[in-house]
Amino acid sequence: MRLVIDERRCKGCNLCTTVCPYHIFQEGRHLNERGIAIPVLDRPERCTNCRLRRLYGRQLCGACQLICPDQAIYWEEDDPYAAEKVVIEY
Amino acid sequence: MSTETFGKWYREDRLPHIFCTGCGNGTVMNCTIKAVDAMGWEIDDTIFVSGIGCSSRAPGYISTDSLHTTHGRALAFATGVKMANPDLHVVVFTGDGDLAAIGGNHFIHACRRNIDLTVICMNNMIYGMTGGQGSPCTPVGKISTTTPYGAAEPAFDLTELAVAAGANYAARWTSYHVAELIKAIRAGLETPGFSFIEALVQCPTAYGRRNKFRQVGEQVEYMRSHAMLLQKKRRLEEQGKDVPDDMFTVGEFVRRYRPALGVRK
Repeated sequence: MRLVIDERRCKGCNLCTTVCPYHIFQEGRHLNERGIAIPVLDRPERCTNCRLRRLYGRQLCGACQLICPDQAIYWEEDDPYAAEKVVIEY
Repeated sequence: MSTETFGKWYREDRLPHIFCTGCGNGTVMNCTIKAVDAMGWEIDDTIFVSGIGCSSRAPGYISTDSLHTTHGRALAFATGVKMANPDLHVVVFTGDGDLAAIGGNHFIHACRRNIDLTVICMNNMIYGMTGGQGSPCTPVGKISTTTPYGAAEPAFDLTELAVAAGANYAARWTSYHVAELIKAIRAGLETPGFSFIEALVQCPTAYGRRNKFRQVGEQVEYMRSHAMLLQKKRRLEEQGKDVPDDMFTVGEFVRRYRPALGVRK
């Protein structure tokens, strides 16, 4: 799974930066063509849902998707699926 | 493109919605859709009803049948829908100005009749759409365009009002507490009879701009740090300690099973 921010929907409110337990979302600095600073993803492979969804078979965490008022955050299937080594610091 | 639940319930051709940057109404919509989907309801047997205001634009983005009614009369229309076909699941989106100010009478009588509805009140403490006039839920001392020296009147406590008027379920959460809000909405949908869920939402444009919450995150941080659980407040009162004035109470206020109107035997 891969974490994605939909650039057509995001309005740059930065609410996702306040809820992620791993601080994956960081405030963006560069404006896009609509004049909105989209948050940037800092090592998104650490996301709980990306790593463990396949193992548990259900939605995990998902706080960023729920709090996003613009429905701009979602997960995409990676294909082909490749095992990846991830270092988690708390 | 989004996940399965949201893709099913949202009208993706209508998104992005017109709510301002950082408005909490979208969060409450997400939580409602998660709860409705967890109930296993279908698009064809669910109806969303709303009145007038920012919050009341929400059903327009959801793919179920919906009614966008006159100001304050969402509950009256929802009562009609429920009476006409008690098999439908009726959910009402409403705001504080819609529910407490102009629709106050409909609200207390819907609570008294205990109709099988679920009401989700997005309380942003101001009239957001018309330019930031003071609503019955504006806290004392807060600035709005009609209260430029600070609101002088005490604010309505809508959840306590619902409890006193006889609702079967009443809870209050904020748009920061998403997981708890989903649980509360789920419990409200499951409870037969009138369920009232008040969700405090941030309003950066009309409310936060005038009340020292210029950034969206500041008001969300305020809701996080100033929310006090109902059980904790009751415990403090039992022990005779002071409850801080600036805290607001969150939690499940009541869950009871009084006889309800509009439930098939």
